Amino acid sequence: MTAKLDLYKLHKAEYATPKEPVLVRAKPARYLAISGQGAPGGTRFTACIGALYGAAFTIKMTRKFAGKQDYAVCKLEGQWFFDGDPAPIPKDQWKWKLMIRTPDFVSPDDLKTAVGTLLKRGKSAEIREVTLETIDEGLCVQMLHVGPYDKEAETVALMQSFAQANGLKLSGPHHEIYLSDPRRVPPERLKTILRVPALKQDS
Amino acid sequence: MNVSAKPATLRFYKERLLCVLVHIQQHLDEPLALDDLARLACLAPHHFHHVFTGMLGESLGSHVRRLRLERAACQLKLTKTPVVQVAFEAAYQTHEAFSRAFRKAFGLSPVQFRGRNGVSARIQTRSGVHYRRQKPPGSFRAAQLEDKTMKVTVKNLQPIRVAFMRHIGPYNQVGKIWDRFTMLLGKEGLLGSAPQFIGISLDDPAVTPPDKTRYDACVAVDAKFRASGEIGVQVIPGGDYAVLTHFGPYEKLGQSYARLLGQWLPRSGRRLRATPCLELYFNSPENTDPEDLVTDIHAPLETK
Repeated sequence: MTAKLDLYKLHKAEYATPKEPVLVRAKPARYLAISGQGAPGGTRFTACIGALYGAAFTIKMTRKFAGKQDYAVCKLEGQWFFDGDPAPIPKDQWKWKLMIRTPDFVSPDDLKTAVGTLLKRGKSAEIREVTLETIDEGLCVQMLHVGPYDKEAETVALMQSFAQANGLKLSGPHHEIYLSDPRRVPPERLKTILRVPALKQDS
Repeated sequence: MNVSAKPATLRFYKERLLCVLVHIQQHLDEPLALDDLARLACLAPHHFHHVFTGMLGESLGSHVRRLRLERAACQLKLTKTPVVQVAFEAAYQTHEAFSRAFRKAFGLSPVQFRGRNGVSARIQTRSGVHYRRQKPPGSFRAAQLEDKTMKVTVKNLQPIRVAFMRHIGPYNQVGKIWDRFTMLLGKEGLLGSAPQFIGISLDDPAVTPPDKTRYDACVAVDAKFRASGEIGVQVIPGGDYAVLTHFGPYEKLGQSYARLLGQWLPRSGRRLRATPCLELYFNSPENTDPEDLVTDIHAPLETK
């Protein structure tokens, strides 16, 4: 049996997770993605997670059944779109893109077939909104955040001063890779990789 | 929870196991089938071995082997029976295997042991149960709660309709059935938003030969799902379940079962229902390190 492809292991350098800011260079990567607006954990947010995982598993298993290269479904990730500090913005106005990293060989046709299968099963309409896209973040400041999601500001502040000290400016969007399952892990032990693309100060 | 019920259930489970311990001592020359012993304890075979291991602090197999070795030690000391004969009566096929086990337990070879005075014919055990020629055990020390902070919650589950695939073979290979099962469901779009993966182990891997142990890999499905081919449908009974979260590799699930069924249960004031225990998986070994795996063990309880 060919070894199962694990993208996080394959691109290990991009997932360096010390508890202090580091620079990483993220190569263009392919994601299944779905965008929306609303509070994390809200109806829309939850429905989108469901649609995204539904697509991810259905694509993987359909390919596997056809005897194609197997791979591990990666963890949930998210991009958050804020101008400045998110704290004063009401949560129901938060804009996000939920993503699952996917091997390059997964094609738009694979997605189309999976969406068809899921709609036939009567899955919710959000499934139509799942897209396949490539995101190229380039140079990023990255750091492991341990603790509740609403304490991320402290970690981001550290990343900001690190960027400054290195002649960089955080440009966004803010990207999170969820290593822990918030349903099972207590908030103080949640592990999340924070990644923010950075630009040279003078550019 | 009714506090006065707790010592009563501890006594209830101790009495059941005591019947088994007496039976074992009186039938050390016989094969001692799990099903028969479970019946003596009035417990379902799939629960019995967990309760036994948890309360006695040793598995049924180790308990029987230990008593046979203690009896062998007594025979060596009190009789002139040849070592080969003693080995055979202790259920060892060869003299070498017997000598090895004996030395491991007593620190002496059988011949040395026979020639030495003042060496105890007992092997240390937490339960205090030892081989006695005339008198079967009248009581035993039930294992204490190892971990006073062990967090067990009682949950009431609705019946769960599941698609399932049965694995018959070694428990360390259930990954293969999950691979195939999730592939067959996944390609049909049946692994939607948050599929609930449930495992049911129906045998004791310490007693049932590895090629015969049974395990059901289950995923919750709606009423529209129909069984076909390798995939069956069953309904997991609802009702009260005692739930203990197991953190870490699946190989160590047995220890958590033993703590839940052998240490917590007898002090809980509750009784086990005969339906099997469930394992609810919250992450997948596919993208999780073994140390970070999270499993909720569910032990079915009788209604209060």
